[in-house]
Amino acid sequence: MADDKDTKPPSASPPPAPPAGGGPPPDRPAAASGATPGAPAAPAAPAAPAAPKPDPLKDPVPSRAVDLLKDHFADQILEVSYHAGMPIVVLRKERVAEIAAFLRDQADLRMDYLSNLTAVHWPKREKPFEVVYHPFSTSLRHRLTLKVPLAEGEETPSLCGVWPTANWHEREVFDLFGIRFAGHPDLTRILMTDEWVGHPLRKDYPLEGNPGDHLQYREVTTAEHVYKYEKATIRGFGWKKEIEKTGVGRG
Amino acid sequence: MFRTEEMEINMGPQHPSTHGVLRLKLQLDGEQIKEMRPVIGYLHRGVEKLSEHRTYAMIEPLTDRLDYVAAISENLGYCGAVEKLMGLQIPPRAQSIRVVLAELQRIASHLLWLGTHALDLGAMTVFFYTFREREIILDLFEAFCGARLTYNSMRIGGLLEDVPRGWFERVRHFLKIFPGRMKEYEDLLTVNRIFLGRTKGVGVLSAADAIAYGVSGPPLRASGVNYDVRKALPYSSYDQFEFDVPLGSHGDTYDRYLVRMEELRQSCRIIRQALDRMPDGEVRAKVPKYIKPPAGEVYHVVESPRGEQGFYIVSTGGEMPYRVRFRAPSFVNLQALPLMCRAGLVADVVAVIGSIDIVLGDCDR
Repeated sequence: MADDKDTKPPSASPPPAPPAGGGPPPDRPAAASGATPGAPAAPAAPAAPAAPKPDPLKDPVPSRAVDLLKDHFADQILEVSYHAGMPIVVLRKERVAEIAAFLRDQADLRMDYLSNLTAVHWPKREKPFEVVYHPFSTSLRHRLTLKVPLAEGEETPSLCGVWPTANWHEREVFDLFGIRFAGHPDLTRILMTDEWVGHPLRKDYPLEGNPGDHLQYREVTTAEHVYKYEKATIRGFGWKKEIEKTGVGRG
Repeated sequence: MFRTEEMEINMGPQHPSTHGVLRLKLQLDGEQIKEMRPVIGYLHRGVEKLSEHRTYAMIEPLTDRLDYVAAISENLGYCGAVEKLMGLQIPPRAQSIRVVLAELQRIASHLLWLGTHALDLGAMTVFFYTFREREIILDLFEAFCGARLTYNSMRIGGLLEDVPRGWFERVRHFLKIFPGRMKEYEDLLTVNRIFLGRTKGVGVLSAADAIAYGVSGPPLRASGVNYDVRKALPYSSYDQFEFDVPLGSHGDTYDRYLVRMEELRQSCRIIRQALDRMPDGEVRAKVPKYIKPPAGEVYHVVESPRGEQGFYIVSTGGEMPYRVRFRAPSFVNLQALPLMCRAGLVADVVAVIGSIDIVLGDCDR
């Protein structure tokens, strides 16, 4: 899908345009009338860009962490958005370690637990990588998402000194994305073998085989490809219709 | 005079007590461990990469294969994450059945852990006892969805089907016999001198270290940190049930054993409440046939038997997720293993690995 065409993070934009590539048409009305008030209605999106439909999923939630970050590190914050009750703060990379230590040590935040650290590859953006942190406070029980956009080959400070658990997470991000963390004590591959070439979770890395091997390599980029492939190989989607028709195999 | 030097030995990846394919490089001074380096990745299947090329509904079977001894927890977490991303409301009956399934799964997983952990320490009988009860639970799952290990029984928006007739009575029967069976395990282990000798004071993890290293689940609670996702950030109607979070005080292998034994009891308590107040109604919300969550991202955590199981999903509005990350509790807990084993004995490594209850399928993804 041409998912990645906007250079802004998707959460900031008005209701996203109907996905390009033309999904199967019958599901459009079903998606709009279903039990998902938050789903952007397709017909409204192109007509009224001035008044975007309020989306309960994107509603801001009160967050002490975001307030304090705005107070202390206003120049480091690039953007704040919300999704499904989680504040998402996009930061510059320069003072990330300092901000992490602030979140951990501040008396009314106490985010002592790094729940998750990962990365996302957006090849069409100006800064194609995004390192994502999910700190959590075991005593106050609040969460936050921090994001740090990075250019190709750019390093970001390692957070091993703040949260030791970042060690393996950062090794994994290095292994699968090729992002380097400055100051990491042991930045080696962790899931792939040491001799591995390439970083599998980059979007340009093929799912199977190499581009030269015509038998194994296949470009799987859209849901249509997946459906086509499944139909061609396994049992396809005919089985569902079969069950609806005959009742055999239900339950 | 004799010369002494440190020795480096390799434990695994084909060692029976490493519960899968975990390799540990040990640096020894005699019997004492100086340094340890876990080497993982032998079971890496690229599930995250695969998930980027599957539709949302097609990923659920993949999650079964992550933590294959607690597949329901993975299903529950994954479906919960997608539902949160879409803003879906799940019917109360589906939520309650999910809780029953997840807690049965927790019991089954803990029983497998207890049997193999005791077996590692030389107590063979426990293994036969726990697998006898685990069999009952697997039969229950088989009656529910036809599979015994990789269930794929939940759907985004609820469950595939309601439970079969008479299933709740079978669960009640299990709850009736289980406390007696638990007494059998405890008679064998809790005050067993050999077991105490192998576990007390072994593999101590302090609360501060546990938090700093991101340890979760029973190992974290055995160190005295009160963090259980079911209580801290309730999901799937867990806030409606009364249960206690057992805590340890020493953070050693024995405390981790005690915490899990108490969790077995608490799980029974939750299931009993869920059965007593089982709501009627639908088991599946109205979900569009092609699931296309709006652009955005979500990080959803559930308490799997091994700890905090996180699901980070980035959507760009398409039929397939843009990025999926499975935050595996085994992966993170394993990171604290060198800390727990430092200055211990080689024989204790087996006990400590058993006590953090890793599943390498979960760890390597």
